[in-house]
Amino acid sequence: MWAAVRKLRDHELWWHFTRSPLAVGSAGLVFAFVLGALTAPWLAPHDPFDPARVFLADAFLPPVWVEGGDPRFLLGTDDQGRCVLSTILWGARISFFVGVSAVAFSAALGTVLGITAGSVGGAYESLVMRAADVQLTFPGILVALLIGGIARTLVPPALLEAAAVWVVVASIGIAGWPQYARIARAVTLVETSKDYIAAAQVMGLHPVRIMFRHLLPNVIGPISVVGTIGLALAIVSEATLSFLGVGVPPTTPSLGTLIRIGNDFLFSGEWWIVFFPSLALVLLVSAVNLLGDWLRDALDPKLR
Amino acid sequence: MSAPPLVEAFGLEKRFAIARPWLARLADRGRGRFVHAVAGVDLAVPRGRTLALVGESGCGKSTLARLLVGLLLPSAGRIRFDGRDLDLRLGRRAWAPVRRRIQMIFQDPYASLDPRWRVADILAEPLEAFGLVRSRGERRERVEELLRQVGLSPADGQKYPHEFSGGQRQRISIARALASRPDFLVCDEPTSALDVSVQAQILNLMKQLQEELDLTYLFISHDLAVVSVMADVVGVMYLGRIVELAPSKELFLRPRHPYTRLLLDTVREPGRRGRLPLAGEVPSPIDPPPGCAFHPRCPWASARCRGERPELEPVGEAHAVACHGVEEGRLPDPRGAPVSSPCAAP
Repeated sequence: MWAAVRKLRDHELWWHFTRSPLAVGSAGLVFAFVLGALTAPWLAPHDPFDPARVFLADAFLPPVWVEGGDPRFLLGTDDQGRCVLSTILWGARISFFVGVSAVAFSAALGTVLGITAGSVGGAYESLVMRAADVQLTFPGILVALLIGGIARTLVPPALLEAAAVWVVVASIGIAGWPQYARIARAVTLVETSKDYIAAAQVMGLHPVRIMFRHLLPNVIGPISVVGTIGLALAIVSEATLSFLGVGVPPTTPSLGTLIRIGNDFLFSGEWWIVFFPSLALVLLVSAVNLLGDWLRDALDPKLR
Repeated sequence: MSAPPLVEAFGLEKRFAIARPWLARLADRGRGRFVHAVAGVDLAVPRGRTLALVGESGCGKSTLARLLVGLLLPSAGRIRFDGRDLDLRLGRRAWAPVRRRIQMIFQDPYASLDPRWRVADILAEPLEAFGLVRSRGERRERVEELLRQVGLSPADGQKYPHEFSGGQRQRISIARALASRPDFLVCDEPTSALDVSVQAQILNLMKQLQEELDLTYLFISHDLAVVSVMADVVGVMYLGRIVELAPSKELFLRPRHPYTRLLLDTVREPGRRGRLPLAGEVPSPIDPPPGCAFHPRCPWASARCRGERPELEPVGEAHAVACHGVEEGRLPDPRGAPVSSPCAAP
């Protein structure tokens, strides 16, 4: 454990990190969000999903600093009397979960397809990479909508409620794989032309073993950079799907669902219902994006 | 050299299809165009000796090396190892029974070691791949032995490849090739990326290891000085074929083929008179010239050379040449000269 911490501290990347205020700032913000999302059940002042403790009488209360605010609800309440701050913490939890799972899914899918395409070659490579090209001609959100729609018709209605989150993860995940496949294939092509791969082949190592032991470690760096930026994209995609009403169900609202709910009250004066979830989304996505940009620059010696 | 050869190849060929747009392929009805990188090579590497292949870039020597270790599959021909034919119909699996016994040393010591692995792990990879060690202790012992064998310190195992110089990396590369206790080492220009002084160290190490471990080398090089030090037998390659094959001393003293003479002339000291009037470049292996591939550059080419391809014919003890001019006896007498050696004489 301590050896790992020491290794991290001695790493070049840490040195670059401590010297970039932007990176430290956005990492801090992301860390705060992660912490808030993880500890939402304890941190949140209210449980917004317990019907026994949500009262319609508390509906539409403004934030505390606005006249008529209630000190129990720091950022006010929504149309059902739920604490906005609590729903944001719980919503960030869902958004994070969907975003991270979707990125993990598309990164895994894309890496496997990319590495195999790069090392197998031939018709298989053409098939995979042309499929990626075709999919990239459609906007990601359209692909996600399409896959989500197909998945919804395939899942039995009884399970739909429980499976909804996974349907969103799968649709965003499948929409994102071409990026990762392209990078994994490019790295694979570069590395397989080097002689240490030939040496491994002369040892008679199985191609799958070569992929795992020699190619994968080279692919992980660039993939994690794209994955960080992809996380921001995935969170926005999830919010978009939820905003359109085809994302996670309203019973487990994500930031996108909250924005959709709040959107109905934007012009009737209850601005806080939409404003704070949107602010949270913007801050979260910007911080993740900035962190990803910094990581890319730090890992690419040509951009230093 | 009476013992049966360890490695033999018969009529070995490798064609590479040239990637072209499908419309062009359609136009010539899928006949396709090929590069004949290796166009029918017969060779035999005597046990415990070194066969060197020399030739310009693009003559197919590296392809031939990769064919023999199974990195590439031959388009035609047979490979025999230790008296047994490899069943090439099996594809790469044909090498499975002899994998451990055939290893390779690569040209670029910077690309042939995985930069993310410690040296000890690089050396242990073949040990584990062939199941040669049973415990961690045994593994460490064997790795240390290998490092000592190539003149490195056992402590170097904990370092990464980038912490070493080119010569040291090549030592690591040699140690990895030796890990599985092979009989046959294919060395693809193992010193051409190194400084001259380091080259000599690596060559001496390889000679010493050959003696200690009874290794058989196929040594690929374009550097005649290096070849004169290493080789027992030399094969001169031109455009995918062996054009002259002779014991090293014989070849350097009495080169017969006009191309061999050209090669030897190019390394002689400047200002020397009587150089062969040679011009031109290596023809394209996509459309090799008819007849002898060397005729466009050969000062003695005749009509027969332009039309009929010469076969490798014996011209003396263990000396064979593929040249109509030599066969007809119309070439001037060869004037060989020893080339300067990179290894200082003891």
